[in-house]
Amino acid sequence: MAASPAVLLPGDDIAPGSLPKGTGKKKTLTLGPGLRHTPPDTVTATVAGALLTDNKKNAASVDYNSGRYLPFAGDLVIATVNGSAAENFNCLLTPNTPPATLPHLAFEGATKKTRPQLPPNSLVYCRVANAGKHLPSELTCVDPSTGKGEGLGLLKGGMLFKVSLGMARRMLAAKGGITLLDTMGAKVGFEVTIGRNGLVHVDAGNVKTTLAIGQAIQEVDTAGIEEEGQRKLAVATLKNC
Amino acid sequence: MIEPTVTLTHLHRADGSATYTHNGYSIIGAVNGPIEVQRRDELPEEAAIEVNVRPSIGVGSPRERHQETLLHNTLRSIILTRTLPRALIQITLQVRTLPLEDGTTGVNSSLTLLPHLLHTALLALLSASIPMRTTLTAVLIAQPSSPAKNIVPSLLSPSAHDLVRSKPVRAVHVFAFAGDGRMLLNESDGRFSFEEWNEACRMAEVVCCGEEEEEEEEEEEKDGGGVELEAEGEAMDVDAQAQKESLDLWLRSVVRRKVEGEQRWRRAT
Amino acid sequence: MPREAEISLNEREFIKQALQEQIRLDRRAFDAFRPLELTFGDEYGVADVQLGKTRVIARISVDVTTPLPERKFDGIFQILTEFSPMASPAFEIGRPTDAEVILSRILEKAIRRSNALDTESLCIIAGLKCFALRADVHIIDHDGGLIDASCIAVMAALQHFRRPDVLVEGEKATILSVREREPIPLSILHQPLCVTFSYFEGEIFLVDANLAEEQVRQGEVILTMNKHGEVCQIAKYGGATINPLALLNCTNVALQKVKEMSTFIQKRLEEDAKQRDAGGLMAELSAENAR
Repeated sequence: MAASPAVLLPGDDIAPGSLPKGTGKKKTLTLGPGLRHTPPDTVTATVAGALLTDNKKNAASVDYNSGRYLPFAGDLVIATVNGSAAENFNCLLTPNTPPATLPHLAFEGATKKTRPQLPPNSLVYCRVANAGKHLPSELTCVDPSTGKGEGLGLLKGGMLFKVSLGMARRMLAAKGGITLLDTMGAKVGFEVTIGRNGLVHVDAGNVKTTLAIGQAIQEVDTAGIEEEGQRKLAVATLKNC
Repeated sequence: MIEPTVTLTHLHRADGSATYTHNGYSIIGAVNGPIEVQRRDELPEEAAIEVNVRPSIGVGSPRERHQETLLHNTLRSIILTRTLPRALIQITLQVRTLPLEDGTTGVNSSLTLLPHLLHTALLALLSASIPMRTTLTAVLIAQPSSPAKNIVPSLLSPSAHDLVRSKPVRAVHVFAFAGDGRMLLNESDGRFSFEEWNEACRMAEVVCCGEEEEEEEEEEEKDGGGVELEAEGEAMDVDAQAQKESLDLWLRSVVRRKVEGEQRWRRAT
Repeated sequence: MPREAEISLNEREFIKQALQEQIRLDRRAFDAFRPLELTFGDEYGVADVQLGKTRVIARISVDVTTPLPERKFDGIFQILTEFSPMASPAFEIGRPTDAEVILSRILEKAIRRSNALDTESLCIIAGLKCFALRADVHIIDHDGGLIDASCIAVMAALQHFRRPDVLVEGEKATILSVREREPIPLSILHQPLCVTFSYFEGEIFLVDANLAEEQVRQGEVILTMNKHGEVCQIAKYGGATINPLALLNCTNVALQKVKEMSTFIQKRLEEDAKQRDAGGLMAELSAENAR
């Protein structure tokens, strides 16, 4: 991206020149997290961070990597089941927040007779169906259009690792690909599930490897290691397994 | 003016945290939010804000409750509470150290601590990325009693030592300004005329909001005490720049460091 | 009522499995403490302890008051711990959680009842005036091991603190300010330190569990002893039953840990003293002639 992105503080107005110009198909400007629109023309930052613009998608947002995860529709998250109510499971996306609801029937092949069994404190990989400020968020484990699971559902075994929200976003981005995982994946088989709420689930079949992979991911996150360093770290990690 | 030193996001459990040190005052601030709110405190259309001030010695007294109320009212006007209805933003401020002379300044000690509490709370909120309308800066102005003939200039952001040296102090004012120049807080103690208050207000506004031109400010000066705007200016090489410094610029430099830290993975790849 | 978020099943199983394979998540030995850091404030009596991610600050302050009528020859010493939401959103001010109650009870038994501090030395005039010493413990960050960290913080702060000197003439006592006379250290009789053992299935005992391990454990035993091997207290509040012989073994491990911690605290105190005395000022102030 640009050499040194503009640093924004809450209350800073974005100059019209810095806003993206819609070169793609979308003509209306979409404002992502961290920006607020005051009609008619003012766009103001609400958090501290760097301004991110995408001319093709005609979108602007503030890039920041601190604070708590806030649910957005469409996000893939790892939720912890809290309990079961009448028609829903109550799941927590982050600690000490009101639970999100996951309907009993929002699973592939679930009917009134065959409900999925999710014990309390189990982990579920799901998508945020809708999230708004006035209602608790709703989760789902099926793709609404196809009715298929797509890898969503109960996560068994393995271990959970916390990463920063920025790291989770990068890992989920289409080509962001983490060199570390690619290098390790060439030698060792493992499964990685990434939740936008800053949680990563790793399952490599045994304790040592799982732990090593998870902690390597956390190290890349905290130390901001670049590609070459990630390759070296991957090799060093596998050597110890 | 020496700039305060700040460390951000160093606590592991809190969503946002800041340690702020200036003039012998050191405060640790932590923010949790948006989190679940108790039924009794729930507000249907906005976020509830809970401020806890923990003194360095002992448990809270009415003085801390008073500071909490002032902080609550000030912060409520800059946090975008309507974007987080029925949630709670919990701000905890722990006073770590006070300057040794704090008890003997003869000045209302809840006012001397107030600007530092405000700054710590603001930095912790920035660290937790709580949506805010604007930022704020705050400053203390002390007006010492002047004997008949001489006019003693007002002290800008004096340290406890300066206050003891300038005893007796006639009046003390704390002002807080938003990033867009609005006055958010105005607390005074002592005897003063309207002109004196006005003068203190102008002085505070200059320090908080700064002049129009952009200046390269120094991060940490190695010198002690507050600056009396008339007197010791000449002594230092950097005085011309020092007087143009403002808290607004200092705040920006702190945020810039934070953002650069978060963006370093981009530069690496 | 805010609650500490419960650990997920996957994490619980993983930690238990790892322990069966002799692995601790942060690669520590089963009887190893997390990295310990101890810094002192500019003023006397402030100790900042960082034990892994847990951070605790203890501050000692002193005041003059009348002694309790039933203990005319003793000063007053209080330890206050109050959790704040800073350490964890599960803590609410004014509503002590179980952990908070246990912490203050353990510190009470470990430090006050064991007479670590000689309260008689705090007496100024018997029955009329004495020093009231107060230890405030602030929990800044909670990642388990609060009892161990708090005890280190309080003991280190007590040893670091200097109280004002007193001039007693008959029935009159004058408190000398810092400028008139150098403040004097407190009279500490012994240094009790706590070691928390968390136990799991299969007779596995861990020293200094972090928050995740604390949530998975079956119970805990808190031992307090000093470096001479004198046990001040052993506490076990519920939890699964354990083998008494294992408990004896814990005592041996605890002794070794306490000795290490005591040496560490001592070293830090000496380094701090040297820093304060930079340039050998104390030697300069001395009126002795070098012969």
